[in-house]
Amino acid sequence: MSQTREFPVSGVRRAQSRLPRKVLGMFIRYLIAVILILFAVIPALWIISASLNPAKSLIGGTFFPQNPGFINYEQLLSNPFFPYVIWLGNSLKIAIITTALTVFLTSLSGYTLSRFRFTGRRTLMMAILVLNVFPSILGMVAIFSMLQQLGAFIDWLGLDGHAALILIYVTGSSGINVLLVKAYIDTIPLELDESALVDGATPWQTFRHIVLPVMTPIVITIGVLTFIASYGDFVIARVLLKSSENLTVMVGLQLFQTDRFDQDFGMITAGAVIAAIPIILIYIPLQKYVIDGLTAGSVKG
Amino acid sequence: MNKVSLVIPSRVYVLHLAVFGVFLAGALWLITSLFAAGLVPLGSALSGIVVFLALIFLRRKFTPLRWLAISIALALLFTLYPLLYTLFLSVTNMGSGHLMAKQQALARYESELYLPAEGETYRWAAYQAGEGVYALWLIGEDGTGRLAVPGAALRTAEAVEGAGALDADGFPESLAGYERLPLNRTVPLLSQLSAIDFGEAPDAIRIRSLREAAALQPRYRYDAAQDALIDLETGAVYRPIEGTFTSEMGDELPVGYIDFVGLRHFQNFLGSEGFREPLISMLLWNISFAFCSVLFSFGVGLVVTLLFEDLPGKRVIRALLIIPWPIPVLISILIWRSMLNPDLGFVAPVLEAIFGASPEWFSNPLWTRVAVILVNIWLSYPYFYVITAGAIRSIPGEIYDAAVVDGAGGWNKLYHITLPLLLRVMMPLLIASFTFNFNNFNVIYIFNFGNPPMPNTIVPMGYTDILISFVYRLAFISSNITNYGLAAAITVLLFLLVSVLVIVQLRFTRLFKEAV
Repeated sequence: MSQTREFPVSGVRRAQSRLPRKVLGMFIRYLIAVILILFAVIPALWIISASLNPAKSLIGGTFFPQNPGFINYEQLLSNPFFPYVIWLGNSLKIAIITTALTVFLTSLSGYTLSRFRFTGRRTLMMAILVLNVFPSILGMVAIFSMLQQLGAFIDWLGLDGHAALILIYVTGSSGINVLLVKAYIDTIPLELDESALVDGATPWQTFRHIVLPVMTPIVITIGVLTFIASYGDFVIARVLLKSSENLTVMVGLQLFQTDRFDQDFGMITAGAVIAAIPIILIYIPLQKYVIDGLTAGSVKG
Repeated sequence: MNKVSLVIPSRVYVLHLAVFGVFLAGALWLITSLFAAGLVPLGSALSGIVVFLALIFLRRKFTPLRWLAISIALALLFTLYPLLYTLFLSVTNMGSGHLMAKQQALARYESELYLPAEGETYRWAAYQAGEGVYALWLIGEDGTGRLAVPGAALRTAEAVEGAGALDADGFPESLAGYERLPLNRTVPLLSQLSAIDFGEAPDAIRIRSLREAAALQPRYRYDAAQDALIDLETGAVYRPIEGTFTSEMGDELPVGYIDFVGLRHFQNFLGSEGFREPLISMLLWNISFAFCSVLFSFGVGLVVTLLFEDLPGKRVIRALLIIPWPIPVLISILIWRSMLNPDLGFVAPVLEAIFGASPEWFSNPLWTRVAVILVNIWLSYPYFYVITAGAIRSIPGEIYDAAVVDGAGGWNKLYHITLPLLLRVMMPLLIASFTFNFNNFNVIYIFNFGNPPMPNTIVPMGYTDILISFVYRLAFISSNITNYGLAAAITVLLFLLVSVLVIVQLRFTRLFKEAV
């Protein structure tokens, strides 16, 4: 390539040399693309392949199983020691309740912050922003100890319960999302809900019948982000939950993996594949909302 | 009559009041219980929140704060309070053996009973009503008979129905619902029976021998005047020293209470040699891990955007490249853990075939560090790819047109237009991502639990441990001793470090300017 620069060439020769150069460039770019695609795709393919491999353990693991089948899945779903189905159910239950509560609270709060003027409003928003930039994981020791103390008096609000976990998720995902909703409602013309208020509607009616229908996109975005985050969380659930039948699927898989990696490798991979399915099912049709949300609310990685 | 106007509260308002009343009653009960148990920080926090809620809800006029109240209350309880409580914990000794307030610890000792070697004794006979259910018939020194069952008050012979005729020793030969155990069947049960407290505290009876049973007595008495716990069995006097009840001989009782230790934890890890050095190397690794993760994830995302955005087939390439994104983090890391596993994965055989050797991804400090960064890149580059692609597309085409007119080539456009503009847009994101990765517990812990372990450290630490996974180790892993106080002190250090990042980040954040 450097030759063209060292030897000044005529216009005709330059045109001739441009074509192979372009082809070479394309070739290199496709080569890089293939390498990166392998890097991206192989782990995902590998876990599927491993989950279909009936061999108990893959000593020196081959990438393509000899006689693929669903035996790992059958064993996983009927395993008495690791109640995988219960874990999956717990995770879905927790994620759905968290999402519903978060969507409700953030819509209402975002609307209030956008449409009403009251003392402390700016301070409140500043506080939300500042408090939520601290990763919630930094509070885990304190939260653990707090729930230990609460649980001594209110059983269901203590450690090893789902209620506290859901409340922590709701709090964690509310902060920045409130600001997202608020910013979204700011773009909705004020006349829309003002006219309703003038006609004698209460704030609640205005919110419910006028504003809520218009803000569907942001509600979906927040719902999807919250679901993905709460379903996929590991650390808070790991710290709070103890008894086997209360675990979420992520914590369960991790313990399963730590305890019985060699023995039950196939089952663990099958468990990983199944656990990923709910998120992928939500992600594929609603990808646009995920990207919108992450681009706008990029404060929390 | 019609002119008289009464203020009739609306039904909704009455309903609100009722619901709030129930909530208030529950909250007050909880707060009093917390204070009674000596849990002052949590009690005070909840009191504050309840007062706040009461102020908002009891005003009849609609106030906008009403719709924010629940969110604010949750944020106060689960975000702000833990932050403050961490500060509090960092100057206490909370951890194994120091988990409760002083009142709770004292109450626990005062409810502890022991079987005195002397004092009034009973003769006894055992009765059985099914597997593991026993009762004792006791005959005191004055000859009166009593029935003792676990968990209920003693009953005098007259109050017991269904007791049969007394035998030569004065024990009823039969008892309704029970079977009398003869001596030969009692002997093998002796150890089982002597573990049961018959009767109800404070009048609990325990078997001392085959012949004797005696009333249990409280073992400890707290003497508030000299702030000491007196062991009535041995006569030893335990005085609290930094939350541990210690006798004059230096013996310590296992259960202590939460007490202030000042800045000892901070002095520990800043002052003591054995702590400071591994901690500094951990901090350096923590920073490099976050920096490399952000740099390479952003780098890959950027390269992918620049190389493929105008390539034929870019939609397919793009779809394939963001495959790692929707997979939950824990699962992605488990996949990498299995792939790199020397026995089960396929990476080791492949590398051995090509290079003749495969790195020790889980036991060699350097290679484990490489592995966690690699895994983290896989997890996070799709995000940067999508964001970078969006940001580059949003750069107005006219700027490039103008540059081309001025004679700029491809590299010039990239250096002087695309990169500077992109960096300005991405800066807050990059800093946020650095903050996030600085505390990226998941990758570190799930991949290899922060291991391989560092040799000869005072508390267990690993070569891939970052500060937050070390905090987790201190608080939740060290199987014998947990140390919340020290863990909290390191968290405080983390808060300070993150605060610096946050301040830098807020300067760049668009959302901040828009919101406020």
